[in-house]
Amino acid sequence: MIRLNKMVKMLTVLALTATVMAGCGSKDNAGTEVNPAASPAASTKPVEFQFYFTGSQNVKDLWDTLVPMFEKQNSNVKVKTVYIPSGTGADSTYDRILAAKKAGKGSGDIDLYEDGINVVNQGTKEDVWSPLDAQGIPNLNNIDSNTMNDVANMAVPYRSSAVVLAYDSSKVAAPPTTLDALLDWIKQHPGKFAYNDPSTGGSGSSFVTTVLYKDLPDADIHNSDPAVMEKWSSGFNTLKDLGKYVYGNGIYPKKNQGTLDLLANGEVEIIPAWSDMVLQQLGQNLLPDTVKLQQITPGFNGGPTYLMVNKLSEKKDAVNQFLNFVLSPEAQAVIVDKMNGFPGIKLSNMSQDMQDKFKGVAEGFRTFNIGDLSNEINKRWQSDVAAQ
Amino acid sequence: MRKEVKQAIVGLIMVSPAFLLLLFTVVIPIIQSFVTSLGNGSGGYDLSRYQNLFTDKGLRSNILFTIKVTLLSCVLVLLVSYSLALYMRFSSGKLVELIRKSYMIPLFIPGVIATYGLMNLLGNNGWLARLLLPVGITLPRIIFDEKGIIIANLWFNIPFATMLLSSALASIPASVIESARDIGASKLRIFFRFIFPLSYKTFLVAVTFVFMGVIGSFTAPFLLGANSPQMLGVSMQQVFSVFQEREQAAAMAVFSFLLCSFLGFFYIRSMAKEDQLND
Repeated sequence: MIRLNKMVKMLTVLALTATVMAGCGSKDNAGTEVNPAASPAASTKPVEFQFYFTGSQNVKDLWDTLVPMFEKQNSNVKVKTVYIPSGTGADSTYDRILAAKKAGKGSGDIDLYEDGINVVNQGTKEDVWSPLDAQGIPNLNNIDSNTMNDVANMAVPYRSSAVVLAYDSSKVAAPPTTLDALLDWIKQHPGKFAYNDPSTGGSGSSFVTTVLYKDLPDADIHNSDPAVMEKWSSGFNTLKDLGKYVYGNGIYPKKNQGTLDLLANGEVEIIPAWSDMVLQQLGQNLLPDTVKLQQITPGFNGGPTYLMVNKLSEKKDAVNQFLNFVLSPEAQAVIVDKMNGFPGIKLSNMSQDMQDKFKGVAEGFRTFNIGDLSNEINKRWQSDVAAQ
Repeated sequence: MRKEVKQAIVGLIMVSPAFLLLLFTVVIPIIQSFVTSLGNGSGGYDLSRYQNLFTDKGLRSNILFTIKVTLLSCVLVLLVSYSLALYMRFSSGKLVELIRKSYMIPLFIPGVIATYGLMNLLGNNGWLARLLLPVGITLPRIIFDEKGIIIANLWFNIPFATMLLSSALASIPASVIESARDIGASKLRIFFRFIFPLSYKTFLVAVTFVFMGVIGSFTAPFLLGANSPQMLGVSMQQVFSVFQEREQAAAMAVFSFLLCSFLGFFYIRSMAKEDQLND
């Protein structure tokens, strides 16, 4: 028994060390429950489909409101939402869809997925999304047809938002309106500007990308050719140089909320932030009401967020029913109220109030489409700027 | 069947659930990680990822930083825990009662909440800064700095280490100490000749727990740490899911496993010695 005793002890030690490995464990496959195939007419049991989405807390709040609204009106469909906080491996959701397709495993239990333009394009190239038409989703007619053509009808742009400058108007009387003016302002006011670690949230990433592409031709922001990487040097030098002027002589908080917290408690005066997050937090009095928004030229990036239907999904009818609801003026009004996002459907379909609210604000942002290069930016930012 | 054989079989059956669990949740993933970490990204297998760990400036400073923070945290945690445990064992009074009742509280507060609490308390414009402002003391930067990570590690690890050490000290018979005192041994002498040797084993267990907890920590260093250098856990996550360099992340995981096994080796050796004594 003594030797067994020793063995148990050794195993215990092994178990302790295991905690370290937890960080790189592979993700579990989501629920394996079997649902009846989609045939809403024949079956009385509601069809349940899986909806994966990613983003900050506000995105989760939005779906937590919209999904029950939808389910109340449509008793034959249930939506199972799976929320993946931003910066925690959202990329792997797309990888899972692709892996399931390649392995011949159908939809991989992901029927509907929400993400940005990069993933839409990637999936279109790899034939992962199902094309959408107004027959299945009548409300698609509410969307500007140019926007739908941009993505070859493969995705629904259901809302938009943009990165803008958020500033405390009680301290900053005249916010910069161009990128050059902003860079000057940062140098003249050391420690009063912060942007977040670009790998942890879109607002910091947008600032970094905008600086990198400052002097590059417009065509490059739609170019995912690695050759463009060589042109980043001057931009990275600018960012490196900014290090000593930003908050805490080079502290870049984690996540979009990290910089908003600094703005809220007065440690900094200007930050790049998502317009929808700022407007929402102003509405909830989480930010002082002296905080105002300003877009600069050339604009930070912004653009629609898309919903894509998995081509191999077996529950397309149920998904279409849901998408049709999301594009109804009723649901779009919730998006505007709850998230302060720009509606995905044409403004002319919304109430006059809404139309006034977005006059001028929804313009000026640019859509960057640089594919995997954004990973390279994060990597190089970490080694050149953070670890300088 | 002979009695010993029967006993051995029963023993093996009793160990097998634990063993299988470890096999599938620990041993096999470690082997998989190790195999992954050998991939060089272009189809071949070599040690380039490990070479990277020490030649890449960022990764090397992350490793050194992790070791520094871990060692500092271990020393501080054990210093505080041991003192607390000693104090609770050999003193009495209202203060001792208060400590005894309250030192476990941090164990019951979720990590993320505690971390945000620390940020609010110790941040640049946090409570502490505001309280100290009238006195004219300005705090150094604590949040977004290694000090923040170390303070968080103290918060997370002191309760458990104190609990372990208290129970070890409680099992030291009072008669031993009293008789030593009777023949005139000084306090220091009693500590080094009796108390420390008698609680040494538990001390080692506590070191092991704290070391492994700190080296694998993620939440606190992610939220409280600077952007560079990072703790290994944070860096591993970034390399794995942001940069998507799975092989590199696996190499980092295997490396931190080796760091832990190093400590585990001493732990097992001391346990084995003990068993020999018992034989």
